Amino acid sequence: MSEESCDDFVKGAPTGNAHFERLATDLEARLAAGFEQPWIEGDFGRLALAAFAYQYEHNPTYRRFCDGRHATPGTVASWRTVPAVPTTAFKHLDLISAEGDGADLVFLTSGTTRGGASHGRHLVPRPSLYRAALLSNFRRHVVPDVDAPPLLSLVPSPDQAPDSSLSYMVGAVADEIASDAEWLVSGDGAIDLARLQEVWRDVISAGDPVLLIGTAFAFMHVMDAVSPGSLEPLPDRSRIMETGGFKGRAREISRGDFYERLSSATGVPTRRIVNEYGMTELLSQLYEETISAGADPGSGHVPPPWLAVHVLDPTTLEPVDDGHQGLLAFFDLANLGSICHVLTEDVGMVRDGKLHLSGRHPGAEPRGCSRAMDELMVDRVGQ
Amino acid sequence: MSACAFEAWCLPGGVDPPGLAEPSEGGESSFRLLAIDPDWLDGLIDALANAREGLRGLGAAQLAKVLGQAGSRFMDDDDPLRQEALDRLPATSGLSAEMCRTVLDGMAANWSEGRLTTLLVDELGGPQPLDGFVDQGGPQTMAVGARLCVQIASGSVPGVGVDALIRSLLTKAPTLLKPGLGDVVLPVLFARALKEVDPSVAAGLAVVYWPGGDGALERTALTRADLVTIYGSDETVRGLRALAPVTARLVVYHHRTSVGVVGRAALAARVAGATASDIANAVALFDQRGCVSPQVIWVEEGGEVTPSAFAAELAKALEAAEGALPGGRLTKEEASAVQQLRGTAELMAASGAGVDLHHGGVASWTVVLDPGGGLEASCIGRVVRVVPIASASDLPGHLAPYAPHLQTVGVAGLGDRLGALAEKLASVGVTRIAPFSAVPFPTASWHHDGGGPLRDLLRWVDLEGGS
Repeated sequence: MSEESCDDFVKGAPTGNAHFERLATDLEARLAAGFEQPWIEGDFGRLALAAFAYQYEHNPTYRRFCDGRHATPGTVASWRTVPAVPTTAFKHLDLISAEGDGADLVFLTSGTTRGGASHGRHLVPRPSLYRAALLSNFRRHVVPDVDAPPLLSLVPSPDQAPDSSLSYMVGAVADEIASDAEWLVSGDGAIDLARLQEVWRDVISAGDPVLLIGTAFAFMHVMDAVSPGSLEPLPDRSRIMETGGFKGRAREISRGDFYERLSSATGVPTRRIVNEYGMTELLSQLYEETISAGADPGSGHVPPPWLAVHVLDPTTLEPVDDGHQGLLAFFDLANLGSICHVLTEDVGMVRDGKLHLSGRHPGAEPRGCSRAMDELMVDRVGQ
Repeated sequence: MSACAFEAWCLPGGVDPPGLAEPSEGGESSFRLLAIDPDWLDGLIDALANAREGLRGLGAAQLAKVLGQAGSRFMDDDDPLRQEALDRLPATSGLSAEMCRTVLDGMAANWSEGRLTTLLVDELGGPQPLDGFVDQGGPQTMAVGARLCVQIASGSVPGVGVDALIRSLLTKAPTLLKPGLGDVVLPVLFARALKEVDPSVAAGLAVVYWPGGDGALERTALTRADLVTIYGSDETVRGLRALAPVTARLVVYHHRTSVGVVGRAALAARVAGATASDIANAVALFDQRGCVSPQVIWVEEGGEVTPSAFAAELAKALEAAEGALPGGRLTKEEASAVQQLRGTAELMAASGAGVDLHHGGVASWTVVLDPGGGLEASCIGRVVRVVPIASASDLPGHLAPYAPHLQTVGVAGLGDRLGALAEKLASVGVTRIAPFSAVPFPTASWHHDGGGPLRDLLRWVDLEGGS
């Protein structure tokens, strides 16, 4: 958090910040070029250290935090040794590294603690950087082979859920990638089943491949609510992006069973269901390569070149070897406006360049926008 | 599964065990488990139910004697049973060897005939109401134990399962205990000891562990019970409650939080170190897994030692405790929670929020000075927050958010303010107020979570118009 309060940022005091603008503009161009312009050895490391130097200089709280760990731009030689902030810190501090431009977006994490609701928030001073990061990655892993598919979204629209980074992301996809978008879930978690069935018929008669996006929980709801076989198979080359999980929910099914059920309900083969892994605290996402590389579902997530992951021993925070489980930490260049290096509560391992998640651990709070929406649905169902 | 894996059951004589369960992946390799199905469990419960008449035929004083004979073996350094307990406990509980010894000493002290006799006196005025109708001024009354007590325990603190089964047997109730994974060894060893001391009493006790699953076994067991004791997280309790018959009496120990308050008198320079040491011991015992383990300490401002300096004292004391009672293993998830808290506290300190952080590096002990009181405190390990408070009399207001889960408040340096404060704390929901030195090991007769350790297990029968 810089010295000003968050509210000052939200209001904005556009005095400009040349350092941020220069870095962000360069980075945004790299991200927007996406996977067309290859990242060569050293690109990430160089940009990561530049981002650290910027954040160290412009975020006084983070600077003192780093000083306390004797890690400064002068002493740190690798992104791996840049001090990481824990995801929990987003609940207590506004970790913004920008001066004067204001936070154009504020995303809330979900979460309920013993003491009651407790939201973290991620302030995003430059939404265009987030858009560049999410769009090129989404194109590569979800729609590399179709142009402008119609979007059916089981995630609320950004208008309905302005605090949700997931809604923002799907909104960007609707704006920039999809031919048109149908928002089938309201901000309070209600699914419009009648409308779903109507547009389902429409897209089938149009015959173009469809892009269907939702949380795993929302898909379960839809499948529970419609009678089996009542939805005709979606057109050929349709695809599904699903995110979130069931851990800790009242009902849990295995990933394999869920995909089978989802596939048979929608007619989309499991090979065209893509799992996205992301969190509000990170502006970049990881995807499984089911569509982009013909990988099996469950065979691991890949980060884009501007996001690095490493696995740390939970007790010492020292790196563990590939193939061993530990806590996941991410260095996300798209987080230039907040803090790039984030220590999560998630457990997993890296093997052959892919991230294998062990599921959000049972003690961790539900978190992430998909869970926030899930909670609303649970509340509604309980009524 | 190693050859020396521990058999996670002890059955009454005459009950044949089913086959062994396939070794499962994960954390149960220290144990051999039985492959239990609901039919077999029903048969076991039949056998327990048949033992009730035998138990009821014994006097409560005699039961205290028999149970005390078995329990005392855990206090005898030369007894192979105690040796086996000390050998098995570190691997199965996750606590260090030194900690296991201290915990066993503290828990088993309450398992002697003397302590059980005292428990009968404290709770019932003596053994007589369990043995027949007694005159108590009004109608004659008699205390009758359950036909079948089913206990599902949590395993966070070794010995809790034995406490539970001793109490129900003392009320002459046949008892089926499913211990928690971290507390399998002591109840099984106790049951074996009981078989040696008196097989007829042991005929009313079965200890058997099975992994939680679809609830079919729990349903089978609970359906037969007229008394159900549950220790566990709120989630566990919620699930099991729904399985118990509506007519069964439920004794529930759900998630609890304990805290402490330090008054100015305990902050004088010459005593502050000792105060910190008592608190550190209370935090370190059970690696903070106990419901009695303090999580937050409110420290009065205006004392000779400031809250900030006291946090540093407490850190010193926890470092010392690490030497005497080394911390045990944390799971990845527990260690992760500690890292999240430490990193967040570090950032808050850097933000100028007045937060200060002390910690033990790879040792889990962590002290956070948290003037805003906003950090969450649900870490396992040895993680304690120090929150400055203008006056101890303000404490009840601060506790309101914790109220449904409050248990013990450790106290120091309150002098004659204690009585008035205790009344207010009682009203908020606290069930135990104790000096920090006594916090870890309550007496056998304590009103655990506000109930009577024996009285909660009994049905009182009135005989009116008797002679």
